[in-house]
Formats: sequence, C-alpha cells, structure tokens
Amino acid sequence: MEHQFVTELQNNQNIVHKVCTLYTNDRDSHNDLFQEITIQLWKAYPKFRNESKFSTWTYRVALNTAITLYRKSKRTIKTQDFDSVIFKISSEDYDPTEEQQLRLMYNAVKQLGDIDKALVFLYLENKNYSEIGETLGISEVNARVKMNRIKTKLKTILNP
Amino acid sequence: MMDELELLKRDWQKREDSHPKLTYDEIYRMIWKRSSSIVKWILIISILEFALPHLLYLIPGTSKSLEVYDKLGIKSVATVFFALGYLVIFYFIYQFYIRYKEISSFDNSKVLMEKILRTRKTVMHYVIFSLSMLLATCIMVIVAIYFSNNLYEIFDLSEGVKNVAPGKLKNSLMLSMAILSVLLVAVMAGIYFLLYGLLLRKLNRNYSELKRLEV
Repeated sequence: MEHQFVTELQNNQNIVHKVCTLYTNDRDSHNDLFQEITIQLWKAYPKFRNESKFSTWTYRVALNTAITLYRKSKRTIKTQDFDSVIFKISSEDYDPTEEQQLRLMYNAVKQLGDIDKALVFLYLENKNYSEIGETLGISEVNARVKMNRIKTKLKTILNP
Repeated sequence: MMDELELLKRDWQKREDSHPKLTYDEIYRMIWKRSSSIVKWILIISILEFALPHLLYLIPGTSKSLEVYDKLGIKSVATVFFALGYLVIFYFIYQFYIRYKEISSFDNSKVLMEKILRTRKTVMHYVIFSLSMLLATCIMVIVAIYFSNNLYEIFDLSEGVKNVAPGKLKNSLMLSMAILSVLLVAVMAGIYFLLYGLLLRKLNRNYSELKRLEV
C-alpha cells in the first residue's frame, strides 16, 4: 500500500507544490506544509479506495490542510522569497511588461485571505464553479459570486 | 481585470514544470513523520484535560484531603456526587471519540471545519462541566464547614489558631475557601479559552468567511 501511495503522490506532487507555493512565503515553510499535506494524504489513504481520481482527492486534502488543519511551525515574516520560488521565466518568452504585470498579479494573489486564495487556485487550475463550490462546501452560484468579488478585490490591490 | 486573470492562468499552467520534484524516497520518508495539525493538538489538549485532574490524586497531599470529606460528614454525598461525575465524564470521552473519528480531510472545507468545531465544542462542554464540578465541590465543603463544630480537629490547625473565636474562624475559613475556588475556576477557564482561542483563530476566521457566503 505504501508503494502504491508514494508512487501516486509522486506523480501528482505538482498539485501539492502549487498549493504550498500559494500559501507559504519561503522554502522552509513550503517544505513544512508539503510534509503536513503528505501526512494528511497518507492518513486518509486507507479510506480513499479509488472512489474518485487520486488527483481530485489530492486537491481537496491539500487545500483542507492549508486552510484548516495546518499550523505554522514557526512564524515567517518574509514575503519576498516567493519571487525566487515561482519566477523562473525562460528567456525565449521574456517580455518585460508582461513579466512586470504577472509579478504584480502574483503578489496581489498572495495578499488575499485563505479562502480567496483557494478559489483563485482552483480557478487557475481550470476547475469549473461547480467543482470549486463542491471542494469548499458552497453552492456553485456562491462560488461564482465570490470569484467576482475577488476580481474586484484584486483590482483594488493592483490599483490602489 | 478579466484579461489579467486569464494571463495569470496561462502563465500558471505554463509553469507546470518549474515546481520542485521530490524523489520516491523523499516522499516515503515524509509519510512516517508526525503530524502537527490542529486536530492533533485538540486531541493532545483534550487528553490532558481528561487526565490532569485525575493525576492530582496521585499527589500525597490530595489523598489526605479526601479524609476531610469523611471528617466533615459529607463522605457519602461526595461519593455519590463523584460517581455521577465519572459517568458524565465517560459520556464525554465517548462523544469526543465519535466526533474525533468523524473528522476527515476529504470532506469539503466547510464540513471539515464544522466537524472540527463540533469536536471542540464537546471538549468545551466537558471543561464547563469539570469547572462546575469543581465549584460545586467547593460549595459543598463550604456548606459542610458551616454546619461543622470541630474545625480545629478536621483541618489539623496549629496551636496559635486555637485562640481565635470559633465563629470568626468559621467565617474566615468559608471566605478564603470561596475566594480560592472562584480564583481557581477563573484561572483555569482563562487558560482554557486563551489556548483554544489561539489554536482556532485561523479556523474560526475562515469558517465565518465561508458561512457568510451562504447567507
């Protein structure tokens, strides 16, 4: 069972890394959250039984851990390290204005609250509103309403 | 804004390969590490709350204080009272166990938060019950002091105190007992609410945000 679990998680580890990137600001916290999510996934694995796709299940447990279960092991004040983790733009598609815009956008998203981040994350992952609602426990309509509010919020952060 | 978010989405999906790649062994080692989730903390704190009052009986002085109930003539009342108390405590442990088992990280976020809050509520009810028990015990002792006639003997008081008038002694004993018990309950309640307040601050904030959406 361990072998099966570790292999599956290894294939799906990007999902977990993306959640960690969004919810932490430096590499230590990233690894710490990654570990906690892995433990939560492993603990829940006996109940998993292929009722849904491993990836779907990973999305839920990872987000639940980041939003609810995880307690920071130490306080982190740094917010700048984030750029070095996520910003690795390859030279061929380098565009200064676009890069600048993206940098601002990522920073704006980082300033959102836990729940807002979860919505943005699922949105960026191309999930539809019914899936977003199901993951968070709200209705599809409310997920849509909330997403519109977040867009307004992001606009205010970008153009104060 | 719409366009910017679309731009972000495209970029986000392009970055698929830029994330760290952990090896099989690295992940394998992780699954044996210990969790530090808030559910784990609630469990640890709860076990302490259930166990601590009972560990007190192991301290020699405390078992001696049980003799005081006997001398005050309230031994049978106290025994029945404590026996009933234990029944309620076992009920709480059972409830806690059921609720704790219900918590699953695969529920949707709102349900997960609700289950954690329900589990915590069980612990809160237990603590309120324990503190009331403590207060009731103190009141019982105070009442027994009021009706008792040989306080010097019961409390093993030193020679110097014997010169104090019996009425005055009774009053000051009752008063100090009352102040002590209220202080004790207040301090314990304070510690408890501070502990859970800090532990569940994030959860409460996120839960009320999800809840607000549904109105």
